[in-house]
Amino acid sequence: MTKINKVMKATTQPAVRTAVEKLNPDTAKEPINVLIVGVGGQGVIMVSKVLAQICQNLGYQVKQSEVHGMAKRGGVVFSHVRFGQNVWSPTIPMGKADVLIALEWAEGLRWMNYLRPDTGIFIADTKRIVPPFACRSRILGADIGYSKNTPSDVREKVAEAFAIDATEMATKAGNERAANTLLLGALSTTLSFPDDEWKNVIGKMVPPKTIEVNLAVFDKGQVWINRSRKGEPVEGGAFVPLVQPEINSVRTELSITPEWCKGCDICVKMCPERCLVLNKDQVAELAEPEKCTGCHICEWLCPDFAISLKPIHQEAVA
Amino acid sequence: MNEQATLKSKEDMTQDDIRNFEIRDYLRLDLFPHFMCPGCGHGIALRALLWAIHAQGIDKDKLAIVSGIGCSGRVGTYIDANTYHTTHGRPLAFATGLKMARPDLHVVVITGDGDCLAIGGNHLIHAARRNLDITCLMLNNEIYGMTGGQVSPTTPADRFTTTTPAGNMEPVFDACRLAEAAGAGYVGREVTIHLPRLRDIIAEGLAYKGFSFIEVMSDCTEVNGRKNDLGSSPEMVLGQTRAMRPSEYDNNVVDHPFRPNSMNTGVLVRSNRPEYGTSYRNMVDKVQALQQKGQK
Repeated sequence: MTKINKVMKATTQPAVRTAVEKLNPDTAKEPINVLIVGVGGQGVIMVSKVLAQICQNLGYQVKQSEVHGMAKRGGVVFSHVRFGQNVWSPTIPMGKADVLIALEWAEGLRWMNYLRPDTGIFIADTKRIVPPFACRSRILGADIGYSKNTPSDVREKVAEAFAIDATEMATKAGNERAANTLLLGALSTTLSFPDDEWKNVIGKMVPPKTIEVNLAVFDKGQVWINRSRKGEPVEGGAFVPLVQPEINSVRTELSITPEWCKGCDICVKMCPERCLVLNKDQVAELAEPEKCTGCHICEWLCPDFAISLKPIHQEAVA
Repeated sequence: MNEQATLKSKEDMTQDDIRNFEIRDYLRLDLFPHFMCPGCGHGIALRALLWAIHAQGIDKDKLAIVSGIGCSGRVGTYIDANTYHTTHGRPLAFATGLKMARPDLHVVVITGDGDCLAIGGNHLIHAARRNLDITCLMLNNEIYGMTGGQVSPTTPADRFTTTTPAGNMEPVFDACRLAEAAGAGYVGREVTIHLPRLRDIIAEGLAYKGFSFIEVMSDCTEVNGRKNDLGSSPEMVLGQTRAMRPSEYDNNVVDHPFRPNSMNTGVLVRSNRPEYGTSYRNMVDKVQALQQKGQK
């Protein structure tokens, strides 16, 4: 995982929008919608709780609804926060979210259709948590099924987009887990609430030992957004698409010596990919060569030494 | 006479030692296909042995394979090394003489359950007692396969064989405990389905200075499997893990005379007893020194 994260070192600047109107629930006709998404264990609920608490302190009507029960650590977590003079429904309709805060890159992309197409603000951590099922292919060196979209792809689809390497910045500040507070800092630049109120609530919400770090990264988040809005160079920045990690990608070629095979059926039944069959002469045959991952199980368990797998180099394949 | 080169311990073996293994470099290809039945576990055991030899980087000219009689005895024939096909039950006795005369050779004994425990049981306990540097691979298929399926000392309870048409009623040997009690310095057991683990156990046994006894739980698909409805070859291979229940092993005391289908696998004994060849040569030096003293 660390190896993958190290790949993202590029200096693409986020979109520049100079005239910024902060979202103000006093003047807005409809409730303001903030959608916070991420992966279990990152602190999605904490971010939404802080926001909801501030709105409540300031006297607005707040409705927050979340899905987290099934998520455990590593599953999808999202939280809807709506606030304003009058809020009726607790969930945000599709295409009505004013701000989307994503604590994980692919989760941000997944929820992008909830943003207002004209004015929605997209703030995402470039942290990538690759789920196990994205690495489902057992072929050695196979591509990972994770989003390859870059921040520049996102910028074309939404009004304003920020891709912050929040986890890296929070780690530098002293605690990786404060990345969510950094995104709160980024969020605070889009809303009209006073800074003191934000810091006050954060100080009450986070564990006492981590207050200092959290307040420091909150400021970092604010500075990051403000600077990047002006087009000034910022820490971290965007990233290049996820490439498959550097491994010795080895493809193998399976060959069967039919004269040695006695048709004991072990290879056919033991193959995890079910790519071998017994033909009409009761001799093992590779029926689906493209499915073979080169796991060697058939070779190892063949009592007659009839199967052999040899590595072939990628150049030879192409 | 040169002492044999020290082999690698499990920690020293690198991935490169294990990879790049081409079994056909170690086989007498003109004898293939081999005579064993379809699905016989001995073929898998042979691969594990040859792979361990490859991983340890043993030169084929410095390798001596001694085998007895039976299906397991024939396994040695297919290895492209110095092989020695001996009389029934006596491979350990032949190997003892070979190792004493040529300590530079790596001596590996391939024997079966009947060969090692019944006909050659006496040789096993004495080889284990002396702790001479031999690696003994006992391929346990729980039956005399080659002679038509007679009951063997490791046939489990109630199994049908040609000599027990109503089911086996004899208690069985636990070969690993026998070897351990007789004094073997290194004792291990593994099933053939766990080939990499079996390879590591054999490789460690090859490197061990002393008598290393490795019991390989193999399948007799044609005789034992068919007579007892143990399923097809893949079902028997898959059933091996089910048959091994380490947790029940230690509770199995005197009141359970039959093999309860629960034996633990892995390296069971790794002791530090003196090796017989070394002690013997020390004794020779001592006697020669005494003789020279007497001549003066």
